[in-house]
Amino acid sequence: MSRVAAPADQRRRILRAAAALVAKRGYQDTTTELIVRRAKVGYATFYKHFADKEECLLALFDEAWGRTEAAINEAYEEQPGAWPQKAAAALRTLFELIVADPLLAKACLVETLSAGPAAVARYGAGLKAFDPLLRPGRELNPRGEQLPATLEDTLAGGVLWVAYQRLIVGEAEKLPQLLPETIEFVLSPYVGEEEAVRVATEFLGSATEPA
Amino acid sequence: MQDEEELGPLPPGRHGFSREQVEAHQRERLIAGLAEAVAEHGYNAITIGHITRAAKVSRRAFYEQFESKEECFLAAFEIVIAHMGELIGEAIAPIPDWPHRVTAGLRALLGFLASDPALARLCLVDSLTAGPAITARFGEAIAGFRPLLEPGREERRSPRPLPDSTEDSLIGALATLISRSIAAGEAERLPQLLPDFVEFVLMPYLGPDEAHRLAREAR
Repeated sequence: MSRVAAPADQRRRILRAAAALVAKRGYQDTTTELIVRRAKVGYATFYKHFADKEECLLALFDEAWGRTEAAINEAYEEQPGAWPQKAAAALRTLFELIVADPLLAKACLVETLSAGPAAVARYGAGLKAFDPLLRPGRELNPRGEQLPATLEDTLAGGVLWVAYQRLIVGEAEKLPQLLPETIEFVLSPYVGEEEAVRVATEFLGSATEPA
Repeated sequence: MQDEEELGPLPPGRHGFSREQVEAHQRERLIAGLAEAVAEHGYNAITIGHITRAAKVSRRAFYEQFESKEECFLAAFEIVIAHMGELIGEAIAPIPDWPHRVTAGLRALLGFLASDPALARLCLVDSLTAGPAITARFGEAIAGFRPLLEPGREERRSPRPLPDSTEDSLIGALATLISRSIAAGEAERLPQLLPDFVEFVLMPYLGPDEAHRLAREAR
């Protein structure tokens, strides 16, 4: 192995270090100095990749959210069955990703809120990613178009709130237990409680077992 | 400026106020000063200097009242939350039936947030980003809305109980949407969301048709 890390690897190490630090100490108390020390890179390397700490955190968020969005979209597309199953599969994947990397999830879902207006705007835009996965549920509802215009935003907010609550107390691993009720919560407005419960039950326990 | 005149420092010496009165007064001014500074700069960017300048009191007076900017923020947060609780309590008190109590409570909440976007921001945006102690307090404060929703469980026709997390999810969903609207500078438009919120919150308890009917009524 070469002793000088390739730029892509350096960048990854910096982002990894930033995620761990931000998740543990919060954004305000994470300094560039701490990031370079933990990533074992020099300041020059850091500044080659990022203008400042804020840009670093935004990159962290963008990359993590980009991967998450791609994964939940894929889960949605590949899940056989009708919309309720597809939406449930997307939620399951979201929870799995959070459980797989709680530090990154905490840095992105909790700490971005304290990282200034650009990060807060990113978070808001991230919520919008759920819209195309939820909106087709309206077609299954006879009154679909009359459902509240803000329904998708509100449900996405509710889902992230559930995750947020577990992340701030360091209990991301409990998230899979909440999957069935979260599925029920999200599906009910579109397909009614009974069908929502049925689909949620189908997915019961499937978050903890390998697919 | 008129305001500065009114907010000038208390003259030292013989102003006839007791020490307790002066201190209570200074505390209020510091809290108002913090709210002003937070509205202008956001919580994370402000220093104790911003607070004391806005309050026009000395740094020493600050430390007589609070140990840190965080403690001062929490004091401000508690006052606003208590005030909100009173407004909601007054709004729902005369209403006998549960669904209309929920509507009235939400109307009072959204009306208050729209009427004072700076305090709305302090409570629902800055408190989420002001560090773990304040975030934890925020979680407790919004859990205070549970008792407004829980009686809805008795209104359900289905014998199947709702999941335990229902109220938390509903409240968290609304809080997230409200906080985003405020962060986007749209606090004034929150009351327009009342029918959506009523429908969303009542649906699990009353079913979609009744929730929709009550939402239309709330327009």
